[in-house]
Amino acid sequence: MTLKPLPSGSRLEGCTLTGALSVTTQVRDAVTVIHGPAGCAQHNLSLFHATCLENDTVSLPRLASTDLDETGVIFGGEGALEEAIRDAAALDPPVVFVLSTCVVETIGDDTGAVCGLGWDVPVVHIPTAGFLGGAFRDGFHRALQAIAGCAGEPERAPEGVVLVGDKNLEYEVDAHADEVGRLLGLLGTTVDLRLVREMDWEDLSLLGGSRLNLLRDPDLAPVGEWLHSRYHTPYLPSYPVGLAGTLLFLARAGRILGVDPDRAVRAEGEAQQELLSGFSDLAGARVRWRGGDTAGGAASFVQELAAALDLCLDPEGIPVPLPDPLPVGTAGIRRLLHRWRRAIHG
Amino acid sequence: MGDCVNPVWPCAMAGAVSCLSGIEDLAVVIHGSSGCYYYPATLMPGELFGTFLQEPEVIFGGGERLAEVLSSIPPRYRKVAVVTTCVTAVTGEDPAESGYGGDLLVVDSPGFCGGMEEGYRIAMEALAPAVDPETPGVNLDGIHPADPFSRGNQREAERLLALAGVSPATVFSTTRYELLRKAAPVSLSVNPDLAGGAGRRIGSLLGLRDVGASFQALAKACPGSDPDPVLREVERAEDRIIHAADKYLRRYDPPSVALFGMSAPAMYAAEMLATYLDCGIAAIGSRNDPGPSRFPTAKMTSLEEIRVVLDREQPDLILGSSYERMVHPQSAFVGITLPLRGKIQLRARPLAGIEGALDLMEQVLNACMDRERRRG
Repeated sequence: MTLKPLPSGSRLEGCTLTGALSVTTQVRDAVTVIHGPAGCAQHNLSLFHATCLENDTVSLPRLASTDLDETGVIFGGEGALEEAIRDAAALDPPVVFVLSTCVVETIGDDTGAVCGLGWDVPVVHIPTAGFLGGAFRDGFHRALQAIAGCAGEPERAPEGVVLVGDKNLEYEVDAHADEVGRLLGLLGTTVDLRLVREMDWEDLSLLGGSRLNLLRDPDLAPVGEWLHSRYHTPYLPSYPVGLAGTLLFLARAGRILGVDPDRAVRAEGEAQQELLSGFSDLAGARVRWRGGDTAGGAASFVQELAAALDLCLDPEGIPVPLPDPLPVGTAGIRRLLHRWRRAIHG
Repeated sequence: MGDCVNPVWPCAMAGAVSCLSGIEDLAVVIHGSSGCYYYPATLMPGELFGTFLQEPEVIFGGGERLAEVLSSIPPRYRKVAVVTTCVTAVTGEDPAESGYGGDLLVVDSPGFCGGMEEGYRIAMEALAPAVDPETPGVNLDGIHPADPFSRGNQREAERLLALAGVSPATVFSTTRYELLRKAAPVSLSVNPDLAGGAGRRIGSLLGLRDVGASFQALAKACPGSDPDPVLREVERAEDRIIHAADKYLRRYDPPSVALFGMSAPAMYAAEMLATYLDCGIAAIGSRNDPGPSRFPTAKMTSLEEIRVVLDREQPDLILGSSYERMVHPQSAFVGITLPLRGKIQLRARPLAGIEGALDLMEQVLNACMDRERRRG
C-alpha cells in the first residue's frame, strides 16, 4: 500500500510465486518445492490455509522449502534444491513442481539444471522468481502452461469440456464452475476436467480429448491458443457473464459442440425472466455503485442489469456493491441481486 | 525433509514488521516485492507501506523507487522505518542513501536470517529503546500486533498494574516513537520469548504463579506499589479454576495434550493444564528455540513434523494454531498462537495475566466437554 498512484498495475498484483502455487497446489498429492527461504513457503501456506478454511477444504497442499539461509545465499542453494527434490520424490507424489524465488534468481542458482537431472518422478520446473519473473498473473499462466505441456496425446475420442484456469483463490471458485456445469448440462454435455482444480495428475490425459476448452477469462487466450495449436481444440474466451452474455455463451458453445442450442437458450431466457420478476420490487430504486471498478466488462454488466430491473442511477442514490469478480451465469446474477436487495431495502 | 515441508512460522522480515508496526507514529516500509508485502499486511491491523519492487529496480537499483514511496508518506508519521527483504538485503542497497530528507530507520531483517522472533529482536535493537530513570511506572513488553492476544494482553496487564497502583510506562511495541527512549527502569513481560525493550525485566505475566511472583517483585522495585489486590485476585482465580477443574474431573479423565506455539506461552499453558487438570503433556512443539522444560519439548516449525507428532500421540486436546486444528480435527482445540484462521475473534482476548489464565482454562474445559459430548 502506498498512497501515491503507481505507474503499473502489475506492481500491486502479487507475487509470481503465489500465482503459480495457486495452480500447482491443486494437483492432488503433488509436492511443490519452493527454492528459497522458508518464509516464502510460509507466507503462501498461510494464504492457502485461509483459503482452504474459507472453502471448507480439510487438507493443505504439500509445500516443501529448500529453507535457504544466510549460508545458502552466500554459497548457493543448488545442493539444497537437489536434496529437497530427492526428499519430495521419496514421498511418492505423481509429480514434483519446483518453483524459484526472487532471492535464488538474484544469486544465480540454476534451478532448471537441477530439475533436469533425471528423476524417477516427473519434476516440472516453473520459473517464478517472485517479482523478477513478473507478477501473479505471469506465475498463474506459466504454471498452467507448464502443466498443460505435460499432457500426452489424447487416449480417446473427444467427449466433454475442459475448464481452463479456475481462479483457485476466488471465494466463489466452485460456485462459478457449478454454474458453468449447469449451463453445459442444458446442452447435454459435461465438464471432463478442470485445469487446474482438485485435479488428479493422471486425468491430465483428458486434456487432449476435449471438444471445447472454456477459459476462465480472456487473459488466458494464449493458453487457449496453445491448446488449440496442439490439440486443435476450439475455445471460448471466458465464463458466461451477464444476461445476454449467458445466452450468447449457450449459443456459441452449442455450435462448437455440434448441438442445436435453441432449446437451451430459450429455457435459460425464460429462467432469466422469472429471476428478474422475482426482483421486481427493486424497480424504480435510485442507486449508485459502490466499490469495485466500472471499467471494462463491469460497466456493461451493471448497465444491462440496471436496465433490466428498471433501476435509476443517481449520484445521491443508495450505494449498492459492484461485483468483483463479475458473477458467472444466471445463478451468479441471482446471488448478486439478493445482495443488492439487502442494500436497497435493508 | 519433514523439517521443511509446509513451514508454519513467519520469517524474520514479518517479525520485524510486527515489532515496528505497533509504533503509531512510525511508518513502516517493506522494501521488496509485493509478495513480501502482502503476508505481513494480512497479519497486522495497521497501515503498512511497500516499495513493490519490479525487476528493473532490482537490476538497476531500487533507490529511486524507495525515494518515491518515502516521499508519499503522510506527515502524521514522525519517523520512517525501512525493512529490507531477501532480495534488497542481497543486492546490498543502502536505503539510507535513497536521498530521503527525513529521519530513516533501516532494519536489516531479511527472511533468510531466521524466524519471527529473530526479526523482532533485530527490529527492537534498531529502535534502540532506552531507560529514563525519571519515568515512573512499569514497562510492558512482549506485545506486538501480529499476536492475536496482543490487545487482550495489554489491557489485562494494564488492569493488573492499576490494581497495584502502578502506571504503565512504555509498551513494547505498541507505543509512540518518543516513548521508546523514555522507558521506566523496570519491565514486565507478557511473552518472555520476545526481546524486551528497555528496563530490567522483573517478571512474566504468563500464569497465575508468575503473576503473583512478578507483583511481589514489583513491590520491591516500585516503592509505593501495593501487590495485595493482585495477589488476592490470583488466589480467587485459582480457587475458581480448581473448582471448575475438579468438577470436570469428577466426570471425565484428564485429557492428554499436545501444545504448539512459542516456547514460553506453550510451556505456561502446559504448566496450567498439568497443575490444575492433571493432564498428561504428550508433546510441546515450540515454534522458536525452546527453553528448559519438564515436558517433552522440541522445536517444530513444519506442519509435517507436527502431523507426525499428532498422528503418533493422538492427543485428546491440542493447544496451538489453526494449522494444528486443521491437520487433527478429531482433537478438542484451543488456539494459543497465530494463525487462528477460520474463527472470528472480535474481543480482546488475553492469554497472559489473571484473566488470561481464566480464559485459557475456560476454553480448555469447554472444548474438552464439547468433545466428550460429541463422542457420546
